[in-house]
Amino acid sequence: MLGHYLLIAIRILMRNRVYAAINIGGLALALAGCVLILGYIRYEQSYDGWLKDSGRLFQVQTTIRPPGQPDVRTQGSPFPVGEQLAAGFPQVEAVTSLSAGKTVTERDGQPVFIDATTVDGNFFKVFGLPFAYGSAATALPDTNSIVLTEKEAIRQFGTTDVLGRRFTLGAGPGKRDYKVSGVLRDLPRNTSLRIGVMYRGDIADIPIERRGWGNFDQIHYVKLRAGADAAMVNAALPGWEKRVVPTGTIDGKQFSMADVFDLRLEPVTGVHLGKAQEAALTPAGDPRALVTFAVVALLTLGMAVMNFVNLTTARALQRTREVALRKVLGARRRELIAQFMAENVLIAAVAVLIAMAIAELAIPWVARAMGADMQLHYLGKDGMLLPVLALFAITGLAGGLYPALYLSRFKPAAVLNGNRGSTETAGSGRLRMALVVVQFAIAIGLVTSTAVIWSQTRFVEQVDPGFRRDGLIQIANAWRYTQGGEYDAARRAMLAIPGVTKVGRTGLGPGDSAPKMVWLARTPGASQYASLTAYNIDADFLPTMDVKLLAGRMLGDRQAADRIADETPAQLATRGINVVVNRGAATKLGYRAPQAAIGQVVDVWFNGAAKVPATIAGVVEDTRFGTARDAVDPIVYAYNPGLTNQVLVRYAAARPGEVMAALAKIWRRFEPEIPFEARFTDDVVRELYAAERARTILFASFSLLAIVISCLGLYSLAAFATERRTKEIGIRKVLGARSRDIVRLLVAQFSRPVLIANLVAWPAAWWVMRDWLNGFDARIALTPTPFLIAGGLALVIAVATVAGQAIRVARRNPIHALRYE
Amino acid sequence: MLHMRALSRTYRTDTVETTALDAIDLDIMPGEFVAIMGPSGCGKSTLLNLMGMLDSPTSGSYVFDGKEVAGLSESKLADVRKASIGFIFQSFNLVDELSVRENVELALLYHSVPAAERRRRTEDVMDRVGIAHRARHFPSQLSGGQQQRVAVARALVAEPKLILADEPTGNLDTNHGEEVMRMLQTLNAQGSTIVMVTHSPSHADYASRVVNMLDGRILQERRRAA
Repeated sequence: MLGHYLLIAIRILMRNRVYAAINIGGLALALAGCVLILGYIRYEQSYDGWLKDSGRLFQVQTTIRPPGQPDVRTQGSPFPVGEQLAAGFPQVEAVTSLSAGKTVTERDGQPVFIDATTVDGNFFKVFGLPFAYGSAATALPDTNSIVLTEKEAIRQFGTTDVLGRRFTLGAGPGKRDYKVSGVLRDLPRNTSLRIGVMYRGDIADIPIERRGWGNFDQIHYVKLRAGADAAMVNAALPGWEKRVVPTGTIDGKQFSMADVFDLRLEPVTGVHLGKAQEAALTPAGDPRALVTFAVVALLTLGMAVMNFVNLTTARALQRTREVALRKVLGARRRELIAQFMAENVLIAAVAVLIAMAIAELAIPWVARAMGADMQLHYLGKDGMLLPVLALFAITGLAGGLYPALYLSRFKPAAVLNGNRGSTETAGSGRLRMALVVVQFAIAIGLVTSTAVIWSQTRFVEQVDPGFRRDGLIQIANAWRYTQGGEYDAARRAMLAIPGVTKVGRTGLGPGDSAPKMVWLARTPGASQYASLTAYNIDADFLPTMDVKLLAGRMLGDRQAADRIADETPAQLATRGINVVVNRGAATKLGYRAPQAAIGQVVDVWFNGAAKVPATIAGVVEDTRFGTARDAVDPIVYAYNPGLTNQVLVRYAAARPGEVMAALAKIWRRFEPEIPFEARFTDDVVRELYAAERARTILFASFSLLAIVISCLGLYSLAAFATERRTKEIGIRKVLGARSRDIVRLLVAQFSRPVLIANLVAWPAAWWVMRDWLNGFDARIALTPTPFLIAGGLALVIAVATVAGQAIRVARRNPIHALRYE
Repeated sequence: MLHMRALSRTYRTDTVETTALDAIDLDIMPGEFVAIMGPSGCGKSTLLNLMGMLDSPTSGSYVFDGKEVAGLSESKLADVRKASIGFIFQSFNLVDELSVRENVELALLYHSVPAAERRRRTEDVMDRVGIAHRARHFPSQLSGGQQQRVAVARALVAEPKLILADEPTGNLDTNHGEEVMRMLQTLNAQGSTIVMVTHSPSHADYASRVVNMLDGRILQERRRAA
């Protein structure tokens, strides 16, 4: 019997090739999208799951709650955690401390950076990473040895078998030789760890003032004993903090760091997608984007399934006679349901196979676009086989059940006597139109959202940042380059490059992810401190950036109080400093107009150590150094070149490449040991939005897919509807209707669901997009334009789809139509 | 074989109630060949549909093969139908996607007949109606007469007690019509009970009894002298 069902299913599909192709093709495309998105979600969730005993590994994360400022969630934790946590919790098997940074080495005569991680002796007790050479027991016996990955070994030595070889690392006085004590197998890409070379750290090398509870510069990992419950540890952590963190007094008040932070164990597998991303070793995943993708993929699949239902029930007309006949011959309804389910499941099965082929072909492209090391594998714990079978079952059932119930319902007596019209129940046409409305609503919603997202993505890349982005180069890692008398010589050399007009220094540059320094400032008489972001700059920074002066003057060398040199905080408290603030800071301090702030003295907690009177010498325009998602910082600029580590170079009327090459040459002369890392600020800003742009493209692809699927649906629906109305059209023509009238009739009829779909889609898209735009500090206004564009586009495409059919039918000679019945 | 008493069928729409059959009494004995005649809309087809259990009566009694079937559920009716009744239609109603053999075999698919037996019976009946040489053809490749022969074969293959034919010659030219009538006559001679709706008095002459209907009632019955 099943063979008979399949036979007839295949013959029917073969007879209606266009219908079959549309139905199967639409489903396959949507399924492929689902599989790819699922693959990506799986990949993002697979981070660190491959680690040995990953279920027992946790990162100690910290939520810092600075008074009057937003919470900071960081992967770092206070220094003493490494030494004291294990003693407080019997569940802990081992704790290890890791601090990440960069070091330099020389390769082919050029300095290059290498990721460098300093760990304690417990690291390999916590992380059972596989060794290519050496072992956990013999790795890192002392601070003269290093462990490196196969990749770094090949880069440096050309081979991986480098146990015992010497490796010179560091620059300046820190430059020394290390012995390779182990070679790690390269880590897969789905890890939140970043390892190039590993040093063994020694507590004796850490200055005593850096060993306190205020130092969050290291990441701690914990391995719990088998069977231990992390939730119990987390519940006990606040009490433990109270016990072990000492209290002190500030301003005569009792104070404990334990009041400012909370520790928590985060499963190592949750780090990548977790909320704490400050100090992360690798870029974070975006769980919100994953949810969005999943929703969009399911919507698309939903559309394809609706297509399936629509086409199958629309075509039911062609099957009524068969159904009736089978009933006459004794088929029961459930046998007919089984037959049609078998047919629909067959279609779903073919679609799934094609979808898998599409997914396999598309995966390298998607992996590249999303920067993921994705693969499709079918068996195993997170194999795709089960989800694909589930998708298949859902599609087959959802798409097949209603048509099967619908088709099997026909009453044979009515059908077989040739009274065909009666088989079309009054409700079914309405249901099909309702499905078309839903489909187009989804498509219009997606297109509207794409238009909004696209405009916003373009907007943030072009939004006025308060400084001039073009013609600007940022040189990083200039912590030595910017210091001392040599800098003046370097600066003169840079200014001598043809086209270079200005050169300035700063501690934080545009697009910098380095942690910001915060100063607490208070106007006389104010009860509360305002927290301002502090920028250490030199006198040339603001002019180089082309930041507009609103009132007062820029900092310079004419007044002694402008510049902070080697004074201690106590000395500064006595003599006072001059600062420049931006508009936001002036507002936050309570000055209505920039001019009102000039000459005012505010108390500033200088680096948390002393209360320094700061005189506002100038007010400049706000600048957006971060992304458009973040609010513009209220900034206080201090002339403190000793704390700068970045050089900014402004050029005009010169070839960017030549300027860059000349800068590199000068750098090499003054800083031969550190790699030259300079970038155009335009590129830096563009990179800030790279992920945003990749997501926009993916979103746009899905919108396109959605439009294609809904048009396929509309096309075949229109085809069947016009077919069914052949006789009606014939009669209309005999009665005098012109082809034009017929086309207008059909197009108007099929435009209606699209127009209704707009009414459904617009509010939904408006609501979702408003929410999304609220995530940006700088954002476009939500105007009717994208909504009208999406609605108009859908209508035009729908009309074009239907018009082709309508014209063909309308031109037919009515004689054929009328003779046919 | 079948006994109808005061059998009625009314159709209702929102506004109108139409009585298609009005308290019919009719008995059909095994081995009879009955022709039902009457103008369009007199209720012939409704009567045939009720007889074939494709439709249920609004009121009255219908005893088929000793069992009351009025008021049975759709699936019970399907069981009785497939065991006892074969149908032949004016418009042949063959499944376009199935070959001649598959169309004939279709009637046995719902009878849980083993495949080998199914094949044998299908071959037999195709021989009987003279369509065996066209077994692999599809309906669209056959003439009207040939299609109706396939439909007859399909009606016969399950060896029903009763064959119902709804204007079996309506879509055929005179020659093919005569051919189908002769075939039905032969089947009747071999023992099949046949009830046929027809417009053609000459085709009605093949029957042993003619029932004339008008406005949902039986007007007169006429037995042909043996």
